Formats: sequence, C-alpha cells, structure tokens
Amino acid sequence: MIIQVLLICGLLLCLLYAFMQRQISRFVSEAISIVVLIGIYFVLFPKHTTEVAHFVGVGRGTDLLLYCWLVISIIVSMNLQLQILQLQGLITELAREIALQGARRSADEGSTGTPLGT
Amino acid sequence: MAIDLWVVIPAFNEGPVISEVVMAVRALYHNVVVVDDCSGDDTGAKALEAGATVLRHPINLGQGAALQTGLRYSLSRGADYIVTFDADGQHRPEDIGGLLDTQVKTGADVVLGSRFLGHAENIPRLRRMILQLAIVFTRVTSGVKLTDAHNGLRLLTRRAAERIHIRQNRMAHASEIIDQIGALGLTVVEAPVTIVYTEYSLRKGQKLGNAFNILINLIVARLNK
Repeated sequence: MIIQVLLICGLLLCLLYAFMQRQISRFVSEAISIVVLIGIYFVLFPKHTTEVAHFVGVGRGTDLLLYCWLVISIIVSMNLQLQILQLQGLITELAREIALQGARRSADEGSTGTPLGT
Repeated sequence: MAIDLWVVIPAFNEGPVISEVVMAVRALYHNVVVVDDCSGDDTGAKALEAGATVLRHPINLGQGAALQTGLRYSLSRGADYIVTFDADGQHRPEDIGGLLDTQVKTGADVVLGSRFLGHAENIPRLRRMILQLAIVFTRVTSGVKLTDAHNGLRLLTRRAAERIHIRQNRMAHASEIIDQIGALGLTVVEAPVTIVYTEYSLRKGQKLGNAFNILINLIVARLNK
C-alpha cells in the first residue's frame, strides 16, 4: 500500500536523523531509534497495534497510538520550554556583560561616596 | 563615617520624567545608576545629562534583569548600600533616608518600603485590592510577612545584594526577591514610604491584568527548581 511506503520512508529519515545525533547525545539517539523501529514494525503489521491496545485496556490500536503521541508531545514541549528558559538566562547574562562593559559614567561618580543630604 | 550608597533606577522609555527623577535623587545622593533597558526614546541620554551613570541593555530584558544589572554594577563599584528606585516618579527621594535610618537602627539585611505603613496618594481602589491579594500570596509562598509586597523602593545592604540573584527578568522579580530573602534567611524590615500615584505613573505602570502573568511566571519558575 502507498501509505505504508510513505510512512516507512518518513520513519527511515527519522532513523537517519537519530544516527546523525548520536555524537550529541547517545541516549537520545538510541531512544529515537527504538521508537522509530517500533513504528516501522507497526506500519508493516498494523493489526498488532490492536492486540497491544487490548492488552493495556484500550479499544483500538489507533486510539493507543493517539494517546502515546499525546504523552510524547507533552514531554517534548516541556523539554523545549526548559531549553528556552535556559537560553533566556544565557542571553540575559550576555546582555548584562555588554551593558556593564559599556557603562557611561557620570563625571563625578563616586567622588564623594557620602550621601550629601545626611 | 562615609557611607557608600548607590541608587539603582531601572528605566524603560521614561524620557519625559527621567531627568527630573535623577536630579531629585542626586540632590540627596551622589551615585545614581540608571539601567536603560533598551529604551526606544532618549531615556539614556537624558539620564546621563542629569548626572547619572548609565548602563544600557543591548536588548530589552525587563525590569528584573535591569535591577540585577544595576546591583552587579553597584557592587563592583564598592557600594555598601544599594537602593532600588522606580523611574516613573512614584517614589520620593526623601524616603531613602528613612530606609537608611531603619537599617542602621535594626541592622536588617533588607529594608523594604511599604506604602501601607506610609501613605499612598491617590491609590485607586482596585489597585489596592490586587496589592493586598499579592501580600497574602507572598506570605503563603515565601513565609515572609509584609504589609506591601510589590514596592519598588528597597534598600539592600551589600551582604544582601551579594546573595540575591534576580532571575525573573520581567515583573515577577518583586515576588522573587522576597522569596529569596525568605530562602536565604536574610533579615527584613519595612519602613513607611509615600507613593505618589501621578497620572503618568499610573499610565506607565503595571497593568493590573499583569498580576495574572506574574503568577504564571512564578509557578513555572517553581516547577523548574
């Protein structure tokens, strides 16, 4: 069937991506590879998803896939959110350094060091 | 004894009032640092002209980040005391002396200005209600009991400024500072100050709807720990 060919091509691309990522994080690379291989298996034998679904107590294989996808996408977006916050922190530090180095001092800064009013 | 007191004023697009504010503070205290948070107007130039030292963020980071930049700079210049002061003219420079007196008398690490111990001129009723909710929220989450949780006028001793690190770039920093005071075990007292709600400061200041965003930011930050 055409859909199976398309899905398998897509999953093989993911596998290639996972292979290229292995130097950055071995764990992520292996995790993606395993998920992709499972995916290819289920594309080839779609009936087996229903058997697994029945086993865990879900009516149809399609529903099971939907639930799994939901969980994965929540994890991925939380992970992205954390990375964005981390980046924001780094950008802040960088901008702060630039601001500190470019300080334009008033002519008499620190000249007395004493509050004049008290 | 000479006291090295630095006044940090975070400013974003405060061109119309910044000169006046800087000059009013400089009439009493020498060292004024304006952190220009990438304003689109002439805030930086005006502050410099009025006699402040000006640090400019290359990108807009928010008031919390601007305060932290000002703290870092003042510490590097040897400050004994650092006062945070709003740029929109809602604080009175005379109140800084009261904060300092309170610190000297009590030896506290941090002195926070409180408009509810002092005066709040022309405070709108809805604003008063939201501020009071914020006080309850702060009491529950940080364990620090205050009468005014979100006042921009504060005095930090060097010891406190070295320990506090503001990570909330946007407006949630006010609660964050109090959380850190609680977590670091710093001693804190309040001193009465007068807030002048001018037409300008109300227009420029916090939109009340922002209180909700601040709450979300704080909750996310807590999950992150």
